[in-house]
Amino acid sequence: MSSIVLTELETEPVAAQESAGGATWYAFRTNPMGVAALALMLALLLVGLAAPLLAAYPSGFTSDVLQPPSTEHWFGTDNLGRDIFAEVVWGTRISMTVGVCASLLAISIGVLIGMLGAYFRRVDTFLGMVVDLSLSLPVLPLMILVAALAGPSLGTIIMVISFFSWPEVARIVRSQALSVVNLPYMDAARVLGGRHPWILRRHLLPAVAPVITVTVVLTASRAVIAEAGLSFLGMGDPNSWSWGRVLYESQQSGSMTSAWWTTFFPSVAILLLVVAATLIAIAYNDARNPRNRRD
Amino acid sequence: MPPIAWFALRRVGHGVVTLWFAITITFLLLRLLPGDPATAIASTNMDATMRQELLTKYGLTESLPVQYVKYLGQLVQGDLGMSFSQSEPVSTVLMSRLPWTMLLTGSALVMTVVIGIPLGVAAATHAQGALDRAVQVIGVVGQSLFVPSVGIFFLYVLGLKLQWFPIGGAYDENVFGAAWYLDVARHLVLPCLSLVLVSLGSYVLTLRSTLIDSLGEDFCVLAHAKGTPERVVVWKHGLRNALLPTTTLLGLQLGFMVGGAVLTETIFAYPGVGREIYESVIRLDFPVLQGAFVLLALTVVVANMLTDLAYGLLDPRVRNA
Repeated sequence: MSSIVLTELETEPVAAQESAGGATWYAFRTNPMGVAALALMLALLLVGLAAPLLAAYPSGFTSDVLQPPSTEHWFGTDNLGRDIFAEVVWGTRISMTVGVCASLLAISIGVLIGMLGAYFRRVDTFLGMVVDLSLSLPVLPLMILVAALAGPSLGTIIMVISFFSWPEVARIVRSQALSVVNLPYMDAARVLGGRHPWILRRHLLPAVAPVITVTVVLTASRAVIAEAGLSFLGMGDPNSWSWGRVLYESQQSGSMTSAWWTTFFPSVAILLLVVAATLIAIAYNDARNPRNRRD
Repeated sequence: MPPIAWFALRRVGHGVVTLWFAITITFLLLRLLPGDPATAIASTNMDATMRQELLTKYGLTESLPVQYVKYLGQLVQGDLGMSFSQSEPVSTVLMSRLPWTMLLTGSALVMTVVIGIPLGVAAATHAQGALDRAVQVIGVVGQSLFVPSVGIFFLYVLGLKLQWFPIGGAYDENVFGAAWYLDVARHLVLPCLSLVLVSLGSYVLTLRSTLIDSLGEDFCVLAHAKGTPERVVVWKHGLRNALLPTTTLLGLQLGFMVGGAVLTETIFAYPGVGREIYESVIRLDFPVLQGAFVLLALTVVVANMLTDLAYGLLDPRVRNA
């Protein structure tokens, strides 16, 4: 998969028409909505990476309790007088970390299961059933149960979210892989005497790679939402700031009913991230679909 | 056997398997995770005999398969165990809460459909127009909303600032008779609205795209060609066929909506299963958490089953598939 992404990025516009990846990237770049969404996502990533440069880590307490937004505290302060701008900036770091790690894990499991299901038809019925069943269950109460039992920490949160997010990925990858496994080139690979792992890696994986690209963004944004939900219910890591924790503290202390800024800014951060992810996915799908392209 | 009975039987079987899967997953997760329930119940510094006593009391000393069979047997009898913190059976604790959650998710589901269908139809029939663009933007943003954010926003603006609706609980203590129902409805508005706003986006977007596809199919083109009024083509020919995938999606969304209900109930102190989950998390009451998941899974499975059965009766394609 990584090699495909690299060629997409390195292809010059002149050569764009030569490869499908290049054409997709070209079409994506000419879509203002997609570019704006991508820029927003990169900006959020940058905020997460540069958190220590942007704000001091919010800790302790000061006497500036529940101050509305001002030039000194851009996003106001919370019930312990901590700067909400700092909380949201550091929250970006944790939320992004959880989103990226959980989605990478979920995608690894989902891609593996999805490909195995499509390739080895004998295990497909079983794997398909597991996926269908997990998709129809209320996941949040289950995540809460597991997170409560394992004890709240960043690692737990990431594991729990990825463990309950892979079925969605597996379903998408499986349906894409199913349309490929019976094509002549797969038979050819088998006739050549290719072993299963080699065929899966070199022939099936590249065919499903484009779908994976979209799912990375969407799964990550869902993971951020799930993390925020768990943190909001008090299941987050008590030692690190995430957007959900800012909301949780505001709800716990009751300041959500008196100080709008304690909930407004983390909410906007979540919304921006998820909207950016959704728009990137839409723009990428449009770019990949030759019928929508004007080139 | 008539095909309908055969279809119903298969569907019920599927529901039972789903439920069994949910129960087995919780059982395995609870037993295989590193934290053990005994350490969770009491503080870590209790002595060994006390710990042993607790383990025996909750039947945790037996082998896994024995525990599993016992657990299944208890569940079949409706026994979800004892709550750690409330010295009451979990089923008693939860059953008094379940009607509220069902009322909340049920009304949110109905509202989603009632608002979603006209919006989706309007967008599909004016595809690529200004209205369609607006619906798409609302759809994408709606999909991206975080339930607590929406809930807190409504609580702050409609509840606190404008004082239109009460901001917490499900009813007032000293209201009786017909006024009580009105009071319940008034308390329901904000939590329900939060859930609807979050689930509306994907419903409208799906309905829009399936309806556009269905309106492009031959039978709709033919209906048009023979002079059927536009309204009838859209609402009768197109929409009826587009509703099947949309309803399936709604069933899948039900699990998501139940998760949303947990969050909304927490914000609005609504006395449903979700609020109980939130309170049990603080008290680390695992039997309640486990029971709540099993109960919510059961609700989702039954609701999905009923939708599918109803659809099977209406649409021969479903029951013969």
